[in-house]
Amino acid sequence: MSMMLDMRGIVRRFGHVVANDAIDLDVAAGEIVGLLGENGSGKSTLMKVLFGMLPPDAGTISFRGQPLTGHTPAAAMAAGIAMIHQHFMLVDAMTVAENVMLGWRDAGRLLRRKEMADRIRDVSRRFGLDLDPDARVAALSLGRRQRVEILKAILRNAELLVLDEPTSNLASAEVAELLTVLRRLRQEGKGIIFISHKLPEVLEICDKVVVLRAGRVTGRTSVAGASQGMLAEMMIGRDVTAPRPPMVASSPGPARLSVKDFLAPGLARLSFEIRRGEIFGVAGVDGNGQIELVEALAGLRPAGSGAITIDGHDVTRASVAARLTRGLAYMPADRGTTALVKTMSVAENLMLRDSGRPPYGHGLLLTRGPANAKARALMADYDIRARDPSFIAGRLSGGNQQKIVVARELDRRPAVLIAHQAAWGLDPGATHFVLDRMLALREAGAAILYVSSELEEVLAISDRIAVMARGGFAGIVPRGEVDPRQLGIWMAGRAA
Amino acid sequence: MSDAAPAADQTARLQTRRLRLRRDGLGSRIGVALLLSLLCAAALIALAGHNPLEAFLAIVQGAVGSQHQIGASLNRTTPYLLSGAGVALCFRAGIINIGAEGQIAVGGAGAAAAALALAGAPSLVAIPLALVGGALAGSLWAGLAAAIHLGRGVHEVLVTLLLNFIALLLVQQLLAGPLGQPGAGFLQSSLMPRSAWLSHLAGFDVHAGILIAVVAAAALSFVLWWTRFGFALRVSGSSRLAAAYAGFSLARLTWGAMLTAGALAGLAGGIEVLGMHRRLIEGFSLGFGFKAVTVALLGAMEPLAVVPAALFVGLLESGSLAMQRQIGVPTALITVIEGLTMLFVLAATAARR
Repeated sequence: MSMMLDMRGIVRRFGHVVANDAIDLDVAAGEIVGLLGENGSGKSTLMKVLFGMLPPDAGTISFRGQPLTGHTPAAAMAAGIAMIHQHFMLVDAMTVAENVMLGWRDAGRLLRRKEMADRIRDVSRRFGLDLDPDARVAALSLGRRQRVEILKAILRNAELLVLDEPTSNLASAEVAELLTVLRRLRQEGKGIIFISHKLPEVLEICDKVVVLRAGRVTGRTSVAGASQGMLAEMMIGRDVTAPRPPMVASSPGPARLSVKDFLAPGLARLSFEIRRGEIFGVAGVDGNGQIELVEALAGLRPAGSGAITIDGHDVTRASVAARLTRGLAYMPADRGTTALVKTMSVAENLMLRDSGRPPYGHGLLLTRGPANAKARALMADYDIRARDPSFIAGRLSGGNQQKIVVARELDRRPAVLIAHQAAWGLDPGATHFVLDRMLALREAGAAILYVSSELEEVLAISDRIAVMARGGFAGIVPRGEVDPRQLGIWMAGRAA
Repeated sequence: MSDAAPAADQTARLQTRRLRLRRDGLGSRIGVALLLSLLCAAALIALAGHNPLEAFLAIVQGAVGSQHQIGASLNRTTPYLLSGAGVALCFRAGIINIGAEGQIAVGGAGAAAAALALAGAPSLVAIPLALVGGALAGSLWAGLAAAIHLGRGVHEVLVTLLLNFIALLLVQQLLAGPLGQPGAGFLQSSLMPRSAWLSHLAGFDVHAGILIAVVAAAALSFVLWWTRFGFALRVSGSSRLAAAYAGFSLARLTWGAMLTAGALAGLAGGIEVLGMHRRLIEGFSLGFGFKAVTVALLGAMEPLAVVPAALFVGLLESGSLAMQRQIGVPTALITVIEGLTMLFVLAATAARR
């Protein structure tokens, strides 16, 4: 089998940092190659080099026998390489067919809608995409939108598809459908690079796996005979998939967060309590009221009616700052523009919500010296890998960015923590880290609301589990009585 | 990394400081933009049939050729620096305040009214109080914009822009009525009492305004980088969502930035009245407030960097008068150069993603 893609000795440096250190990657036609690695291990850099978005410092790329050097992304696409991004590049208000034609030369100056619709139906049938050319993208599920991206790639004669974390936004049924589509693509002789953190999926769909760590290839193996533990060890140097020690049953104390008859736009009436030393996990498909709930609790959305109390103090109408002083910590799901200011330094992000308190500030003034010292200490404690506190946060990997948020919110020793998608997009090592910190906080006596669309995560650390559907809780069960089938019914039966 | 922490801290601080001024080479980009606009200006001067080198030389001589000219240049710099620094503060907070022109006008009227009311008071009382009067009037005008923006949700660009015209008409009205000099034939006030005149430095034709302006710019820079309020402003300028999450009140930040910028613009107006004209004249602000936007952008929205930016515009305008006198290149060309500079700087700063 001759290689479709052959990347040899790719080196790419950023200043002193070697993001890619002599990486070899090859993909044959009809092969799915898993590209694994922690956040910041060099996967994105390697893909940017492949697409001509970054020139390599050394190394060669050949694609279907032709060398690719000094190419632009447009040239990469013309050669038959397609990238399916994590966030889809589609116009919601347009139909599937219109999105396919958008920015595509071969669609012609005069649009031939009918012909295009026929081709879409044809390809859709052949690859099992199940797409209606006249459907509006806005009306499609995330899984279908992703298949529109795949459809675009196939119609544009892509031979090699790169999927960047393709399953991170999908519900589990949609993941299964995606994997079926990928198998069809493999049968048709397409090459696929599958970038993911999710080891079970990688083992299920890939033929072979290339593992990166700190810019180098640390493992290269055929999937047959590989185990999750083995892959995780290649990724981070130790096995983090080992089952956690069973959680010590908590002896919950008095309620620290209590929500009574709470009503806000997008939410059904909610009543629940989280006690001292308890993690209350909220599972469910995204878009069922999670963001409305956490933002209302955090004070970012007006409360409708009902009452929220923290340690007995009513905070229903309190400002964000007043809630902070009551001990409410919040880790938003939106890291890019809410939880972090990407253009600011690590130190400034660490003091984002505490600038009025020592050691960051005193009265009206900032105390930069002590703040920098504190930032240094937090960077060490929470393993935030940045050169120094003045490093710009947006230039760090996703995992390191989230560690800034974790460090800031936990260092305050909160009474109540609201964590929304706290491990989203993180690699197994960083996920492990975040979950461990949640458990430590629970030990310390905080009440934690852990909201995630990853059921595994929720099950791993929660004392009680609620399933959110249509703005309310479809059901709440204690950890010991979890019946996965029941959870599934709650999630699917009432999912939006 | 952790050893030699104090030294490392020092370096880190120096690095941040440098970063502030040249985030992603912003400083050098602005430099290139200036160079390009000067090249274009040279081409235009050549097209007009003059020797560009000669013209530039005339500008330089006109701007810094003598003590008198240096003084005139610094006086011209003052209103740009004051109002530009205030506008920069607003821009940093993500508030597009283009109302400096109106705030200068109202500030001038406020200072004039205060000075006239304080006739007979000693300089030590009259000058500070008159300047405070100007600052308060400017603040009031900016506060009106903030109130409409926050209260009714009207976009701040519209409110600040439209209030400019109202302010200019208001000052005209005041000059036609209570503040006007009876029988002057022009829309102007009576001469300010001598005790309220801003003193000039002996030998130089420079008044104390430039000192006030430089101190104000330094103070703003301190506020921006060393106070919690400045931090909140910077956060909200980068991301409103993050500012809300951090617990900062956007309304309070908007009030703070607008009132400060208004006070500085009002102060600029007061200094023009007390230091330059010694009376309130219709249209005494020659578009200072509008060009303050250029100056703020030229200074990369950093109050300290607004000092050289304002100096650049001040020198250019003051020197261009000499150029017109000496070699007959019209000063209108300087307006063209300023416009070009603005375009090039905007292009240079927008190019960073």
